Amino acid sequence: MTPFRLKIITPYGVFFDGETTNVIVRTTEGDMAVLAGIQPYVSVLGIGKLRIMLGEKYRYASTSGGIIKADKNETVIIANTCEWADEIDIIRAENAKQIAEERRKNANTTNDIKLAEYKLHRAINRIDTAKFK
Amino acid sequence: MSTPSVKSITKRIKSISSTLQITKAMELVATSKLKKAKETASISQPYFQAIYETMSDIASSADTASQYTSPREVKKAVFIVIAGDRGLAGGYNSNIFKLAIAEEKKLGIKPDIIAIGKKSVDFFSKKDYNIISSYVNVGGNVSHAMCRDIADNFVEGFSSGNIDLVRIFYTSFVSAIKQEELSIDVLPVPLKSTNQKSYIEYDPSPIVVFDRIIPQYSAGILHCSIEEAFTAEQAARRTAMENANKNGEEMLEKISLQYNRARQAGITQEITEIVSGSAAQGN
Repeated sequence: MTPFRLKIITPYGVFFDGETTNVIVRTTEGDMAVLAGIQPYVSVLGIGKLRIMLGEKYRYASTSGGIIKADKNETVIIANTCEWADEIDIIRAENAKQIAEERRKNANTTNDIKLAEYKLHRAINRIDTAKFK
Repeated sequence: MSTPSVKSITKRIKSISSTLQITKAMELVATSKLKKAKETASISQPYFQAIYETMSDIASSADTASQYTSPREVKKAVFIVIAGDRGLAGGYNSNIFKLAIAEEKKLGIKPDIIAIGKKSVDFFSKKDYNIISSYVNVGGNVSHAMCRDIADNFVEGFSSGNIDLVRIFYTSFVSAIKQEELSIDVLPVPLKSTNQKSYIEYDPSPIVVFDRIIPQYSAGILHCSIEEAFTAEQAARRTAMENANKNGEEMLEKISLQYNRARQAGITQEITEIVSGSAAQGN
């Protein structure tokens, strides 16, 4: 498989900059795999797992929204947050899940509900991703 | 010129030197904080740059105008004013408030405020503005989640028609000796669609991608502005303290001259007294 350059940028700096042969992201439209030589493609990321082929194995990371911008030279993922599966703090994620669940119960306005659900979704995704160390 | 007593001069010298000690320490602290702030600001810069490029790309190719780019009649405005948590930074805080007040007059309506920094909260609550939310002690360690929360709220307000304008006021860091107060419109986004042909495939469509990026873009602008404002604050404080040091040292020089004169005058007087005393006895 032909390798291509993948760059992941977060607000806290460059998270990943290197070569891969295959990356799978969760866009708002569904899972999307990027291979070398792709047509120029832009989409929005949802909350989900990010899989990067490194050597013979996928390495997993969790993302919570962002943009993917791919063309035949390089692929750039602009992520709000990005964490490797083995670096996820499960205790913190479980805590966040509990807090979000409680908030969801006590939420009054639709905006509050939306915010709580978003946080809950994120926490669940992090817990889920952490299983793919 | 009446000469002040040696005692009162000594007191002043003491007070000035202790002030100088503080200003010198503050200058050093600001210098090191400035260096750190510059580094953090440069870390988040590429993130925002990348979002902005994507947005401009879409804007230049999208055939439909987004609701986020079309200006409307402004009935409700939100000003996000970023100032420091502390004073003693020259005109850093007051200049940004002056700009906000001036733009309010131009706009003709009283805006709601999102206040960032303790000084900003103090200023606008004293003037009875409607403060939507306030954040203190955020400079230097900006959390992106906080920026997202703020941005999600006003983007939601804008798309539902409750807010017609969102403007950020912050101080930009031009150089270590020059900082400039700026205001930028977050929403509506000041981008024009030029309708050029593009070969990029937007999934599901350019306009949907564009609209979905808006919250991220807004949070990104906010993040960068807060970081840049914090850098500018440190630079402003450093300059202010540098000036205070210079002035203090000048004052100290003048006063020690006065002190020496007063001391000499005292000695001369004592000698005169002794000489005239002994002369009187010798007779």
